[in-house]
Amino acid sequence: MKRILADVRAFGVQFMRSRIGAFFAIAFPIILILLFGAIFSGGGSQKVPIYVQDLSDSPESHNFTAALNATTVLEVRAIPTGPEILQYISENSINTALRIPADFQAKVLANETVNVTLYGDPTQSSYGIAYAAVSGAATQFNFTVARARPVVIPTTEKIAARDLRFIDLFLPGVIGLTVLTNPLFGMTNVCAEYRTRKFFKFLATTRLSKGEWLVSKIIWYSFLMLVSTAIMFAVERLVFGGIAVITPMAILLIVAGTFEFTSLGMILGLYVRDTETAAAVANAIGFPMMFLAGSFFPVDTMPPALQALARVLPLTYVNEGLRATMVFGNDAKALLYLGITIVIGVILFIIPAKALSWKSK
Amino acid sequence: MAGAVIEVRGLTKHYADVKAVDGIDFEVRAGDIFSLLGPNGAGKTTTVEILEGLRDPTGGEARVLGVDVRKGYAKIRDRVGVLPQDFEPFDRLKPKEAVAYWAALFDRTLTKKEIADVLERVGLTSRADAQSMTLSGGEKRRLGIAMSLVGDPDLVFLDEPTTGLDPAARRDLWGLIRDLKSRGKTVVLTTHYLDEAEQLADDVAIMNKGKIVTRGTPEELISRHGGGTTIVLAGAGKEGYAALAAQGIPASVDNGNVLVHVANARDVRGMLAKVAAVDVPVTEIYTKRSSLEDVFMKVVGARMQEGVLAE
Repeated sequence: MKRILADVRAFGVQFMRSRIGAFFAIAFPIILILLFGAIFSGGGSQKVPIYVQDLSDSPESHNFTAALNATTVLEVRAIPTGPEILQYISENSINTALRIPADFQAKVLANETVNVTLYGDPTQSSYGIAYAAVSGAATQFNFTVARARPVVIPTTEKIAARDLRFIDLFLPGVIGLTVLTNPLFGMTNVCAEYRTRKFFKFLATTRLSKGEWLVSKIIWYSFLMLVSTAIMFAVERLVFGGIAVITPMAILLIVAGTFEFTSLGMILGLYVRDTETAAAVANAIGFPMMFLAGSFFPVDTMPPALQALARVLPLTYVNEGLRATMVFGNDAKALLYLGITIVIGVILFIIPAKALSWKSK
Repeated sequence: MAGAVIEVRGLTKHYADVKAVDGIDFEVRAGDIFSLLGPNGAGKTTTVEILEGLRDPTGGEARVLGVDVRKGYAKIRDRVGVLPQDFEPFDRLKPKEAVAYWAALFDRTLTKKEIADVLERVGLTSRADAQSMTLSGGEKRRLGIAMSLVGDPDLVFLDEPTTGLDPAARRDLWGLIRDLKSRGKTVVLTTHYLDEAEQLADDVAIMNKGKIVTRGTPEELISRHGGGTTIVLAGAGKEGYAALAAQGIPASVDNGNVLVHVANARDVRGMLAKVAAVDVPVTEIYTKRSSLEDVFMKVVGARMQEGVLAE
């Protein structure tokens, strides 16, 4: 343990003295939070507009649109009931629209399922925000109107009955993004550097084992990610008054995600020739994952093919798990994603633990 | 062999089409500076890395501090210090931090005074608080030696410790290596600098193409292969050579200088008198004792410059 702690300390000192490393671990996530928070969490003009065609035009449908307004993320604008909605969207260059069917009230009062249809371009971040907000409002509506029976679709997800803001949905994504980028990019580079500069060979002349070295890196990055998360959380809470919470499950997910991506970085680092190649390989793996795994908008809002792809990306489970526990208080779902993350992490860890050799061939 | 710290018998390391180490035998006595000398690619580093437990041999036997290097190296790990070839320190650690860190990797906790003592021994006291990336080439090697000494090892491997350093830095490091010997450490020094081996080593093995081509103390090697003294008639050229030949004095020409080789030291005075009596235009006459360079030239068949054999 003494050797591991000594290695953690030495690695940490070097990391923090590297301004680039410290920037991406601490400052960059804060900049993202401040930037996106400022864009989406300000006054009414910064809300995502959603055009609602209320074919029901009934007290219950009015309650539902009021619930949409109450999310504070959306600004509801009415569409006349006469025109066909797709044509109206096309003619008016609308990004996101919602159609409430004519039988909305009748079905709600009869406690039957009713579909509200969200139209929009899933590649637009505003669509993701709108989808999440509509889902939240629908669930809240179900709670209050139908005693939690899901009569209004598209969501069946249980959420706390709170006013969600964009920043609350965004914070878990940025944490997931940070958990991906720092260990993945860092370890790919470190492994390449240690091999090309013969640090591995030098370390092999000490009592430190390969496994201890790997564990020390996971400990360091876990510590770093928890500190980074705490700072991001504080900024979100103090600057934007967000309501997302750091739960024990979130901490477990952050540590498991760090374990997973540190291991993935080690794997990439095993096979790259130098630090320049390491950066390119880490970017090639990391960047698509950033955007496809729901860091900036929920995976459910993506086209089916991309959703299928997202389901095989390990970051997806970290992001979705963090959102479930931090925003919706759904620890059961988060626990499932935690399990998936740990399993993937163990598999990814075994590969470098077996393949990494400090000895010369 | 009694007192042997390292024993190597029939050691081989083969790759697909290369015999990097081709059946070598040697032993290193406790307290000696043993030098493996040879050009780049001779097999020095491969041999040393096998002895450091960093590379598995293909065949033969190698024992370090009584332990077979294939198994049980963990038992002696903290009795062996290593400065790898092309050593570079961790850029953002200060020397005092690097020494403390390396000691912890041997399960040792050094006090501030002990760290200061280690740095003082290698002449880095004034640089103890500088980030390692700012150290000069010589200072970095000194730090590497300091790190290799934190476990207070009995045996220290220094793999080409002065390569790439300027002459002053090289000589500084020589002092440090002599200091290790004076403290009773056994040192295995690989180098391609002939003068370095001649100055430092008690025992020299010249390697070429995976084999040890000769072995002994520098004096023994010079006596055996180089032999004697050379009288140099600087600038005598072909005319001088012809004049000496006419007097029956065997000589050779090298770069415009005429060289007269004298095998026995007792004959030098007489030969000098004979040469001086010949009317030859010279700019200078001096004697040159044979060196390891001459030995190397003779046993390898080529000169070596910066580790590369001359054509």
